Amino acid sequence: MTLTARRYFQGASLAVWGVVALAFYYSGRISSYLHPDFHSWTVFSGFVLVLMAIGTVLLPVEEEHCDDDCGGAHGPTSAWGTALTTSLLIIPLLGAVMISPSQFGAVAVMNRGLADSITDLPGYVPFSEPPLPTEDGSIGPSGPSADLGSYLTRSPDGRIMASTMDLLYAANEPGLREDFENQDIEIIGQFFPAKKNNPNGDRFSLVRMFVMCCAADARPVAITVRALQPETFPDMSWIKVTGKATFPTEGGRTFPVIVAESVVPTEAPTETFMY
Amino acid sequence: MDVPVFTFSLPDFSYAFLSVLLEGVPFILVGTIISGLLDQFLPSKVMLRYLPRNPFLGACTAAGMGLVFPMCECGVVPVIRRLIHKGLPVSNAVAYMLAAPVVNPIVILSTYAAFRGQGALEMSSLRVAVAFVVAVLVAMAVHNLPLRRVLKPQILESVENMPDDEHHGHSHPVGLFSRLRAALHVAVSDFLDVMVYFVLGVGVSAAISTALNQEVLLPLALNDWLATASMMLLAFVLSLCSTSDAFIAATFVAFPAVAKLAFLVFGPMLDLKLVFIYSSVFTKRFILGLAVGLFVLIGLICVRLTVIGL
Repeated sequence: MTLTARRYFQGASLAVWGVVALAFYYSGRISSYLHPDFHSWTVFSGFVLVLMAIGTVLLPVEEEHCDDDCGGAHGPTSAWGTALTTSLLIIPLLGAVMISPSQFGAVAVMNRGLADSITDLPGYVPFSEPPLPTEDGSIGPSGPSADLGSYLTRSPDGRIMASTMDLLYAANEPGLREDFENQDIEIIGQFFPAKKNNPNGDRFSLVRMFVMCCAADARPVAITVRALQPETFPDMSWIKVTGKATFPTEGGRTFPVIVAESVVPTEAPTETFMY
Repeated sequence: MDVPVFTFSLPDFSYAFLSVLLEGVPFILVGTIISGLLDQFLPSKVMLRYLPRNPFLGACTAAGMGLVFPMCECGVVPVIRRLIHKGLPVSNAVAYMLAAPVVNPIVILSTYAAFRGQGALEMSSLRVAVAFVVAVLVAMAVHNLPLRRVLKPQILESVENMPDDEHHGHSHPVGLFSRLRAALHVAVSDFLDVMVYFVLGVGVSAAISTALNQEVLLPLALNDWLATASMMLLAFVLSLCSTSDAFIAATFVAFPAVAKLAFLVFGPMLDLKLVFIYSSVFTKRFILGLAVGLFVLIGLICVRLTVIGL
């Protein structure tokens, strides 16, 4: 294969990877794949790859300075080898872009197991914030007994807009629990049918994915919901639950259970992960 | 309800596959850009002038270089491939390759943060120390091996054909622009070459990590030996990035600390995607030997650390 043809194949591979990275970043799809810390890396790699693609095609290497031995490994030199390499680089990528639903389904969630305690999550440390100064400058109560309730967001009908993490933390921290216990809440998550401890068939899990780096390390986090009647939604579809937050204790362990008043399908939030 | 040990789902696979590709590409790209610049701007003799001639001291120096030049496990391979081509002794390159993803400030801090409340100082110190020792021991073993058993034929050829002078079979271009253009083409070739292996490795890793029921590992936590072996196997399959793997390891509360340490040392040195990426530099036989050697060595060291109460 001529050096020119190889250059075009290389440029095409780089361009496809660069465009995919940029498309994910600018469409916002990247939020369903990577932790925000990595988003700037994605756009950086997208631009650099596109520039490298242009440079590869428009700036041929001076052949007197670089024959096939110069780098020790310049990849395949035959037409078939280059075509195979290009196919290996492009086809799986584009296939995954088309097939990937941008969220895990029930199979991956089952295989990873549901974390239902804040202590099961990466990076958890018990709540121990220093005391905050009050309006008159004196030092207020420390940690969980601080008035966090005033900082909670509420829906137009006065319900606390809770998150899965809020309730899991509250189950483990008595001070935080006071802000949520028996309060009307609204919470969004993914529907997952209860696989055990569901004799009446009226329970299901409300799942969110907790992520450290990327979706591949996502850990499903679940809160039990007790509904008025057995609910059937597609597995891992997004739902909005309104009801009361309760924190029963069983076997010496306190965990959150939402006693639901309504469960309705909803759109996925912009930020599908929890961090 | 019993969950089967292995259940494959194409959408789940493609989602995990794509997320690791997107996460890893920038770091491989940075590694290959450095590789291109090294090729054009780093004179071969400079490295040799500053590295100790003694193989053991050279391996120790290389294993500690991650503290100054931190690299992740994906990005480090194109860099060492270029450094080998520029004349860096293979044993030193292996020491840097194995140690740099762990013996670096970013990973030390992330390990400390992840293990707060679980012996953070102990775990982050032991992680660095064990990785350093293992990297030096493997480097010394490599030093005693003939190069043809370690390097792929095309890499070996480029090393053997390197004359004593600065050049290696062809002259470098003159002028900054010409050198940058040549660096671009070297970087592009290295990037595409390593990416083929990366794509294959991530594919296998994503298939297993999404399809394997991870609960099957839990009963193994009760025995130090089984727990250590199973955590290393898990690290091998999950193919996590060394900057974040400590946060995952810390959640395996049922497993003994020695098993978590083994996970943290073994994973950045060898996992499924790295097996494929290493194939761009090393012979298959060497990679197999490296895998078995690392598994046994790290397993033995970590389990023996129970004597200090870990």
